[in-house]
Amino acid sequence: MKLSPSQFWRIRESQYRLIITECGSCGRKSVFKRSVCPFCGSSNVKHVESEGFGKVLDVTKVMYRWNSSDERPPLLVGVVELDEGVRVVGEIVGVGDNEEVKEGTRVEAVLRRYASDDPYGVIYYGIKFKPIKTA
Amino acid sequence: MEAGIRGWGAYIPKFRVSATEIATLWGYDVKLPKALGVVEKAVAEEDEDAVTMGWYAARVALKRAGVSGEDIDAVFFGTESKPYAVKPSATIVADALGVKRRKLSTDLEFACRAAGEGIRISIGLVKGGLAQNTLVIGSDTAQANPGDLLDFTASSGAVAFVIGNPSKSPAAIEASVSYVTDTPDFWRRDRSPYPEHGEIFTGEPAYFHHILSAAKLLLDETGLKPSDFDYAVFHQPNGKFPLQVARALGIPQEKVLPGLVTPYIGNTYNASALLGLAKILEEAKPGNRILVVTFGSGAGSDAFSIVVGDSIYEVVSRGPKVSDMISSRVSIPYGVYAKFRGLYLRNIGG
Repeated sequence: MKLSPSQFWRIRESQYRLIITECGSCGRKSVFKRSVCPFCGSSNVKHVESEGFGKVLDVTKVMYRWNSSDERPPLLVGVVELDEGVRVVGEIVGVGDNEEVKEGTRVEAVLRRYASDDPYGVIYYGIKFKPIKTA
Repeated sequence: MEAGIRGWGAYIPKFRVSATEIATLWGYDVKLPKALGVVEKAVAEEDEDAVTMGWYAARVALKRAGVSGEDIDAVFFGTESKPYAVKPSATIVADALGVKRRKLSTDLEFACRAAGEGIRISIGLVKGGLAQNTLVIGSDTAQANPGDLLDFTASSGAVAFVIGNPSKSPAAIEASVSYVTDTPDFWRRDRSPYPEHGEIFTGEPAYFHHILSAAKLLLDETGLKPSDFDYAVFHQPNGKFPLQVARALGIPQEKVLPGLVTPYIGNTYNASALLGLAKILEEAKPGNRILVVTFGSGAGSDAFSIVVGDSIYEVVSRGPKVSDMISSRVSIPYGVYAKFRGLYLRNIGG
């Protein structure tokens, strides 16, 4: 996926921050800042920012590298259920060779680089997740 | 009181490369790491940079301060490893934290002391009534020419402070002073990937002269004595220099060791002394007084006298602690360090 400065600029708030849309009509929550509820179509919505903590529901190892990514495979990509009750797909980083990420692993949102258009292009930042130690 | 530290946060990557491995790889005496007082250094992952680490530290600082981005009137980003040569890092972090648009926002560069200068600027803004709260970030993915002496210590880390009203702060800055000269001890020219340094010129005329001069100015202006301080933290290019400064000032080693983090994580440049301060704030008791002296090549130092207040324990509990970040570590070989830090020349897209 190759972005452009203007495309990224328009969506940067949803890239930089975990904004949750709460529907005042059907009561359901969805990830990203939306003007309309994706479940019932109501525009009676409000936006709150996630605290950035959650747990892994599933994780997979991706062995290919998408265009513009500076990173080498394998990448860990997981489905994370945030403590606010919504699910989001994200890369999981900060995992050592002998460490395991599995269902139930507690994670925390972090800002990381996603890509840049070329060595001198815009750097795209966004939210990923890293495991956190639990007592 | 000049201003207060309302909150602080830190970030230390968990990956570490051993100084002994660096010595062995590059043909140094294996006793050299001990002479430098460094065991290992923290390494940022390949998708991390000064912006991402600074964001994490700043997010914790806001949480500890109990303020939101809407309450921040200025953002200062101190770094010498900006992801962009031209384009501010401060604006990326500010937007990612939801800091309001009506604000001051800029990157500061003064080698390792830019964040210290950011705190001094913040004191002026807060004391002068131009800002209620400012956010100061010190963050670096420090570069070193592979195999150079700096390779033993140049590491990655970040720290951030919310500076504001001292009466709302768990730590008050009671006095501060800066001392600056033109001293070419360490530099990096445009398009040079790694810094150069003036070898032994970095010690006496640079590091020691500026830190000791700033510390003595602070003592002269406040009438305080070294014995009035419960803790002291100095810029930490290695594990030995800060102890030598303490000895010169007559400050016992046990007051310096709690804030000495370089032996375990390396020199985090703009975060260096201020990460030590963050660690001390997490261990200090109400009423304790802390001496902080930064240093940046080029060269200059900022000295601060900070008094810990009654709310310190409650504020500490709002975020992750520096000591936990130091102990949460995973060893990696030098080859992985080189991969993480982009030291291999590769064809992009290949």
